Amino acid sequence: MHLDTLGPGEGKVNPSSDIRDLWTTATLSESQLNLPLSEVCENFDEEGICVDKTQWYRRNGSWEDDEEDEGNSYPEELDEQTLPEQEPHQGSSTEPHVGEKGDDSKIKAEKPSSMSSVEGFTHSPHLAYWAEQQNRLPLPLRELMKNEALEILNKALRSYRSGIGREHFLTKELQRYIDGIKKRQDTGQNI
Amino acid sequence: MKLKTGSFLWYLYLDKVYCLLSVRNVKVLVEYFHLLDVHGKNTLNDVLFYHFLHHVTDLKKKQIKIVFDMLDWNAVGEIGFDQFYILVCILLAHQNHLEEQFLYRHSRPVFDLLDLDGEERIGEATFQMYRFLFNIHKQELTELFHEFDVTGDQLLNYKEFKLYTIFSMDKYQKRQQAERKRKSLSSKPHIKW
Repeated sequence: MHLDTLGPGEGKVNPSSDIRDLWTTATLSESQLNLPLSEVCENFDEEGICVDKTQWYRRNGSWEDDEEDEGNSYPEELDEQTLPEQEPHQGSSTEPHVGEKGDDSKIKAEKPSSMSSVEGFTHSPHLAYWAEQQNRLPLPLRELMKNEALEILNKALRSYRSGIGREHFLTKELQRYIDGIKKRQDTGQNI
Repeated sequence: MKLKTGSFLWYLYLDKVYCLLSVRNVKVLVEYFHLLDVHGKNTLNDVLFYHFLHHVTDLKKKQIKIVFDMLDWNAVGEIGFDQFYILVCILLAHQNHLEEQFLYRHSRPVFDLLDLDGEERIGEATFQMYRFLFNIHKQELTELFHEFDVTGDQLLNYKEFKLYTIFSMDKYQKRQQAERKRKSLSSKPHIKW
């Protein structure tokens, strides 16, 4: 199902789909990276430290082929040691050793992907990514997905309760399921 | 019909030529589907489906109900991932203004979806009911039936439907070319003598 995509100049480009057009063809060229973060994103100060309370995470490896995804850790598996070091550095690498400060290694080009901008976000002011942060859209995608699913399921639970009652086994099953997701989320946040 | 900005589906996108999701997007979509699969049956019942679609789009209750009826082609009261996937593709095609391309590329599955009674024919009333999914105006649909109902039975068979999608795609491409020409002309610097 993976096929080549058209460039941003082709096809109808809607202003509302600008971000995804950028993601489709986004490559981390160095010329785009030499911008102070404070100029790109209001949520970061001059030192590139996030002043926003939005929770960030990064994967240990770069977000590349699907085959490589399986070996990489997911957000909830990151340890505390990695989290405080998630400070965006200009022009630094997205390699696993990205925790080292002052690293001037080059950023490797990404493959076009709807989620490719997550790669190396702590160390490269990728314009599509930061433009998105300007609008305070929630990232990463996985966290958003879980939160959204929880909201939908909570609404469904209310419908179950009013439709078939609190004591129905399906209602209880849904309640347990929601509790399970919340518990897993809390456990993930505490790591 | 609009996807809510910032919703999970809003972050996905279709390939602009083949109007399909990439493998990466499908993987994430599978995870999303399984998150909503509360009862572990690899399906979404009508309640879960309603709340999902109500949460991520601006569709009304009546519209959601008829979409569910359309996707529940086995009439089991639940939809599986296949149906979920095609719905997401339709939503994204609409969101990204790729309706003509989507209809052209996937004319057969769309025809099968709209063929509610399995008669291999689509009536105008049925198509009118679902035109909001493909952003087709009422008048446009009436003209479609008038122009492409070759057999004259007030119904569209698959060949007639396919002809419509080809024609629609052709019109879309000409529109794109005209737009590109207009943009390239407007971007050229005007030289004053």
